[in-house]
Amino acid sequence: MTDIINHEGVAIAPQLPDILPPVKRRTGLAALLRHHPTVLVGGAILVLLVLMAIIAPLLFTVDPTALAPARRLRSPSAEYWFGSDMLGRDIYSRVVYGARVSLVVGISVAAFASLAGLFIGLIAGFVRIADGVIMRFMDGLMSIPPILLAIALMALTRASVGNVILAITIAEIPRVSRLVRSVVLSLREQAYVDAAITSGTRTPQIILRHILPNTLAPMTVQATYICASAMITEAILSFIGAGTPPTIPSWGNIMAEGRALWQVKPAIVFFPAAFLSLTVLAVNLVGDGLRDALDPRFAKRL
Amino acid sequence: MLAYVVRRILATVPVMAIVALFVFSLLYIAPGDPAAVIAGDQATPQDIERIRATLGLDRPFLVRFGEWVWNILHADFGTSIFTGLPVTQLIAQRIEPTFSLMIVTLIFAIVVAVPIGVLAAWKAGTVIDRAFMAFAVFGFSVPVFVVGYVLAYIFALQLEWLPVQGYTPISAGIWPWMKNLILPAAALGFIYIALIARITRTAMLEVLQQDYIKTARAKGLGEGRILFLHALKNAAVPIVTVIGIGVALLIGGAVVTESVFAIPGLGRLTIDAILRRDYPVIQGLVLLFSFVYVLINLMVDLAYIVLDPRIRY
Repeated sequence: MTDIINHEGVAIAPQLPDILPPVKRRTGLAALLRHHPTVLVGGAILVLLVLMAIIAPLLFTVDPTALAPARRLRSPSAEYWFGSDMLGRDIYSRVVYGARVSLVVGISVAAFASLAGLFIGLIAGFVRIADGVIMRFMDGLMSIPPILLAIALMALTRASVGNVILAITIAEIPRVSRLVRSVVLSLREQAYVDAAITSGTRTPQIILRHILPNTLAPMTVQATYICASAMITEAILSFIGAGTPPTIPSWGNIMAEGRALWQVKPAIVFFPAAFLSLTVLAVNLVGDGLRDALDPRFAKRL
Repeated sequence: MLAYVVRRILATVPVMAIVALFVFSLLYIAPGDPAAVIAGDQATPQDIERIRATLGLDRPFLVRFGEWVWNILHADFGTSIFTGLPVTQLIAQRIEPTFSLMIVTLIFAIVVAVPIGVLAAWKAGTVIDRAFMAFAVFGFSVPVFVVGYVLAYIFALQLEWLPVQGYTPISAGIWPWMKNLILPAAALGFIYIALIARITRTAMLEVLQQDYIKTARAKGLGEGRILFLHALKNAAVPIVTVIGIGVALLIGGAVVTESVFAIPGLGRLTIDAILRRDYPVIQGLVLLFSFVYVLINLMVDLAYIVLDPRIRY
């Protein structure tokens, strides 16, 4: 989960200048995959899952919302690969379509939280007056456990995939901002940034040329962990009834619907659970591999 | 040192103030009439009017916020819109199961995770270490409710060693209380164990390279003594830090774990409050949990003084 990595990031923040990525020679994708097999394995699983989500209608699925009360609670069979739920809906189809929600939420939150965090972190790192105010506010937000913050936000809005994305993004922003800010602060101490300032380079130019490119590596790693965390949070929100609306099949929703009957029909809960875990595992594998690849010194430490 | 302790305690005040301001103003930042937002889609105008009165929406924002904070400082978290009962009373009724679960999980996780991390660092690079690292990635990837269902399926449904769900108050005896908490605590502790064990391993690897460890080995101290007395003590600061930060995971996870194991605690209250859009209850819960989180991290900061005498601010 991202929290962990974020939190470790916080824990090791004082040593950050030390672990900043050294200037890297460009290496090809093939070399990256060869040296870091976890990226290959995780990436391959992810590609398959994304494909599955996109071509869901072609994968022998039926309408995931089609009710068939006469055929409810079937065990897994040739007709119902993963069985059917208490409304007679085909669980296999629901699980395959459910991948869409998880992937969309994970990727969107990673993108939005990274962009917002980058923006806020850059401002905090460059504008001294804003820094104190922004960081005190972020400290406050960070002392609300992220899932609880997302729950509070969902309680105020209508259940929809868009609102789930918004709520989880807001819950993730403080940690990203903090990471970007600490990277910016340590980069500002670098000699080449000093040199750029003395030679009269304007601030926007410095940010664009010298700061932004150097935040890319830690941000990429961070984004994968945010993606993993967002998928888990979405599932948790849906599981407790505060996430994706019940009309849209998502892994959390399927598990929530199976909760009442799970002692009799554990399959309803276990199939979406397995897919969710596999997806998060794949994202984490990519994240760990990228972290090791982009930051060799850090890799040795962990 | 006393000055540091006082300063550190005072530093939690602005943090809690920001949490309070944020939690309070969320309702007004959300688009639309706050009373209508709380009332939901099927509300009658009377419902909205009643909620408006409960929230005191006719008075200025800052006055309401001031009153709200004043009441909280006097342990009054307002009134639940759905039940009409004081939020403080609702929380008090549900607090025991949740805090039992969290404390048992915390102790269980530390007792399991620290030795695993020490062992992994000691055997760095071996099969044991690799197996542990694989477990850690796995632990971060499997959501808490999935672990909960798997554990309940194996140990409660199949083996029938432990109850499937429910909660017994501690007043009914330690063992009945414990019996209901073992599976939830194991499920909730899973990711926490991975987190603590991994930071323990990292911190221990660093310490084990130090010269004083070589000295200790050279003078013939036993490995156990070196690992647990000399090394672990010096690796303690990052470990304790992560234990404190990880409490956020415990709090978030407790809500879900309670749902899986049908434990009537604050998590259940949270879920009911969301479904009923009972915002005063949610406000109270978020504030309470954030306060616990800030308090634990305050204790962590104060523990640094004991753990590392070099730290003097």
